[in-house]
Parts: sequence; C-alpha cells; structure tokens
Amino acid sequence: MKKIKAGRQPNRSLAGDIGVGIVLILFGCFFAFPLVYVINSAFKPLDELFVYPPKLFVRNPTTKNITDMFLLMNKQGIITFTRYAFNSLLITAVGTAGHIMVASMAAYVLAKYRFPGSGPFFKMVTVALMFNGYVLSIPNYLIMSRLGWVDTYLALIIPAFASPMGLFLMKQFMESSIPDVLIEAAKIDGAKEGRIFMTVVMPLVKPAILTLMIFSIQSLWNNVGTTYIYSEELKTLPFALRTLAQGGVARTGVSSASTLFMMILPVACFIFSQSNIVETMASSGIKE
Amino acid sequence: MAKNKQKTMAKSNAIAGYLFILPFIIGFILFLVVPLVQSFYMSFCAVTSTNGQGLAYDWIGLKNYHDVFFKDPDYVPRLLDELKNMALFVPGTLIFSFFMAILLNQEFKGRALVRAVYFLPVILSSGIMLGLETNNSLLASMSDSIKQDDSMTTITKTLENILLTGEQASKFFEYVINLVNQVYNIAISSGIQIIIFLSGLQTISPSMYEAAQIEGCTAWESFWKITLPMISSLILVNVIYSIVDFCTKSDSQLMTLISDTLYAKFDYGLTTAMSWVYFAIIMVILGILSFIISRWVYYYD
Repeated sequence: MKKIKAGRQPNRSLAGDIGVGIVLILFGCFFAFPLVYVINSAFKPLDELFVYPPKLFVRNPTTKNITDMFLLMNKQGIITFTRYAFNSLLITAVGTAGHIMVASMAAYVLAKYRFPGSGPFFKMVTVALMFNGYVLSIPNYLIMSRLGWVDTYLALIIPAFASPMGLFLMKQFMESSIPDVLIEAAKIDGAKEGRIFMTVVMPLVKPAILTLMIFSIQSLWNNVGTTYIYSEELKTLPFALRTLAQGGVARTGVSSASTLFMMILPVACFIFSQSNIVETMASSGIKE
Repeated sequence: MAKNKQKTMAKSNAIAGYLFILPFIIGFILFLVVPLVQSFYMSFCAVTSTNGQGLAYDWIGLKNYHDVFFKDPDYVPRLLDELKNMALFVPGTLIFSFFMAILLNQEFKGRALVRAVYFLPVILSSGIMLGLETNNSLLASMSDSIKQDDSMTTITKTLENILLTGEQASKFFEYVINLVNQVYNIAISSGIQIIIFLSGLQTISPSMYEAAQIEGCTAWESFWKITLPMISSLILVNVIYSIVDFCTKSDSQLMTLISDTLYAKFDYGLTTAMSWVYFAIIMVILGILSFIISRWVYYYD
C-alpha cells in the first residue's frame, strides 16, 4: 500500500493539492445536494415543508413523518410492513446474486474466447441496451403469462438475471483487466474452466462485481412490480410506499420520509462495497 | 496425433464456453429478443384489446410510421430537441466524469467518503425516487424559485449577452453557456461514468507510471501516453452508456410522449412505432460514433 502511494504521486505541489481539493469540494456539494435535501425534508414538520422559498436545512426537526409512515403502513390492511420489506429484500437478493453469476459467466466467455457467433451476439446485447421499457411491456406480459409466472416472484427475479447492462459492463471490464497469460497459466496447471472462472477470474473482477451489485440492487430494490404482481402479500415495498405517498398534499411529510427510507439500503450497500473496492483495487495491480 | 489432440481441446473449450453463456442466452432470448420481435410486428398493426382476454392485431402496414412523422404534432420537434440536447450533454458528461475520475483516483484523506458522495446521485435519481420527486410539489416550487433567481440581471448574464453579440464566435459561446447552465444536470447524471472510469484507472499498474517516471517522463506526458491510451476502451463504453442513459431517461420529453401514447391513449401500435423510430436513430448515431472511436481505442493485451 505504502509503495503504491509513493509511486502514484510523482511530483505534486501544495498549490495543486489545494486546487484539487477546491474542485472536489465544489462538485461534491453538487452531488451531495439531493441527499442533504432528502434527509432534511424527511425531518421537516409539515409547515416547514411548504415554506416558500424552500429552505435546505430543517429548523425544527421532528420524527413525526417517520412515525406517521409506519403507523399508516400498519393500518393499511392485513399485510404488514415487514412482509413488504421481506418481498423486496428477497427479490433484490436473489435477483442480484443471479444476475452477477449469469452475467459474469457470459461476459467471461465473450471477453476471453472466440467462438462462432460471439461477435454478433455481443452486438445484439449492445443493441438491446437501447430499448426502453415501454416497447417491451406488453410482449413481456404475454410471455410471463404463457410461462405461468404472473403473480409470482419469478416474474420479477428471472428477467433481472439476463439484464444486458450487466453483461455489457462486465465484458468490457474483463477484456481490459484480466491478462490472458493468467488464464493460460491456470490452464497449464490443469485447472478446468469452472475452476478458472471461480478462482482466477472472479476475484480479479471484484470491483466490477461490486459495481454490478450496486446497479442491480438499486434497480431491483426500487422495483414497483405492479405489472406482474396482483396478490397484496407479494407486492413490494416501493409499491406500498408509493401508495402512501400519493395520498395527497397532507401526505407530503410521509412522502419525504419514505424517500429517505428507500434510500437506506442502496446507500448502505454502496458504502460497504466502496471500502472493499478501494482495498481490492490497491492489491490487484498485477498487469504483467 | 498432436493435431487430433488440439482439435479435441478446442472442442471441449467450445462446449465449456457455450455452457457458460447458455443461461444468459436463454434469458436474453426469452425476455428481450422475443418481446422485441413481437413489438416490431405490433408496430405494423392496430392493436386493440378484445373485451375477453388478449389482444387483437390488425395488419395496417406502415400507417403507424406514417402517423409518427406526419400526424403526431409533437413527435418530430421533440425528437430534434432531444438530439440537440444529446449533442450537448454527452460530451459534457464524458469530459466531466473523466476529469472527476482522475481527481478521485488521487490519494487524499477521506477519499472513500468523497467517492461515496459522488456516487450518490446514481442511487437517488432512479425508480421510485424519481417518481416521488416529480410527484412532489416541493421540488416543483423549488425549481420555480431557482428560475426566478435566474431572471435577475447579473454580471454573468450581462457577460453572456456581450459574448453572444459577437458574430463569429457566438455559436461557440452559446454552446459553452448552455453547458455551464447544465452543469448541475451533467454532474448529477455522470455518477456511473465516473465509477467506470475510476475502475479503469485503477487497473493501470502503478509500475507503468514508475517506469515512465524513472525514464524522465513528466506527469503531463504520462497522462497522454499512459492514462489516456489505457483507458481508451472505457471511453467507448462510456460514450455508449451516456447516450443510452440519456435517451432512455424516463423524464425526457420524448419518453413522456411515448408513455402517454401508451397509457393515456392506449395506442400500442403507435407507441411501438415511435419507439422503433427513436431506436433506429439512436442506433445510427451510436454506430457512427463507435466506428470512429474504436479506430483509436488501444487494447493492452
């Protein structure tokens, strides 16, 4: 770690450091603004939420919005808050794990092997990125109903496995960060494909895996899923929170509390994996 | 004998390869290719829902496409607007995210925290958050008040006016001024691009820089001769990602039009036709760009 530190900074001056610091802080404020705003809004009492012009920081913080949210949630019907949360967690966890596995396996083959059809196939994947969900909504529904997956978790989980964005990013990353020599060496030592993949390739692309994980968690965790799910006990947390938040002007407080609430998991995952990314990166400079 | 052995090895390689890629292909075909083909077919049809179950398709040929261009009053102007914004937005995002990734790749105290902050918008600006934000009267009033502030005469505004009166350069200044106005949007939407660049920067071995430094290379030179070539493949990735991200943002004007046609008018045939036209145009742009860029992308291995 120390050695790298010495190598990274060839000749930087104090003035340069200060300049970099200023730029980072300036743009950092930009980036942090929505978060600060959301956090503050969640603790604003109703009258403060409607102050004009709006204030960024809360003056009389209150937890009423949050207690209101849980209260309304449990009053709404037979389905409790924990059930919604469980549904969302299950979909997110299984979907993300499956997506990372399926996408990295395919990406590994596409990045490191040439076989008939690999080029056109990857082009098709890139093309598929360009489509918006509206085009696919009705045909997708037809397929789900033919498979008998409507109103099951499967309808939300399985399509996430084959999301093209993961494959696209992973393939590009593997192409540039796994030396062919390493795979060859493993092969000469007698490792089978499955073993090479699990013990050589996957650890090397850990940063990309974590990036993918964040993408996937974020999209699955926010999945409202009303298109395929009708049973109340299978519905997701974002759906429940959105229903609460759309209850009119009086629910503005609850709405800002639920925004904050939905943010917790993705932000926590990111902060966790962030430190991990830094670690793996520092130790994986083994090109050559 | 030797030849024979090689053949079987290649064969077993191929089988393993197909096995690895099979799950993805199945999912891809089932949830993307089949629906896409279906939707392409539907774009030539008048789609109506029969009162029992299911949909009825009546083949009407190119009528939907004709309607997109000649009947819908909003489609073409919004499309042009969208493309113009894209020409501004995508280069801005790329330059900004590259710059930021380089800064975030430096060693300094609290780097993990700063990086985390820079990734936040990605988490915030999606799905339900976006829905809540647009439903939220708070943010609406906020943007109103920002607009009001904007209309006040300030030094920058005056400067802008002066700069824009120059004839030759005015186009360029207009571009820069637009870009500056967009700084917040660009910053907010470049989180993923920063991460992609950052992960690329981190795979560049420090020993390369060390070697260059020993040979007497300045930081400026090593940027152009090491950093840029090593990261060039990711520039292409980011160009594609930025364009896709920009074009499929669900709050853009064109996307609103498309979703309105689907949910308000329930004209699925027209919706798919609109989407396919949009898609074809983006494809052409992407094709041209990736052809140009891939010519100078440098692959290390």
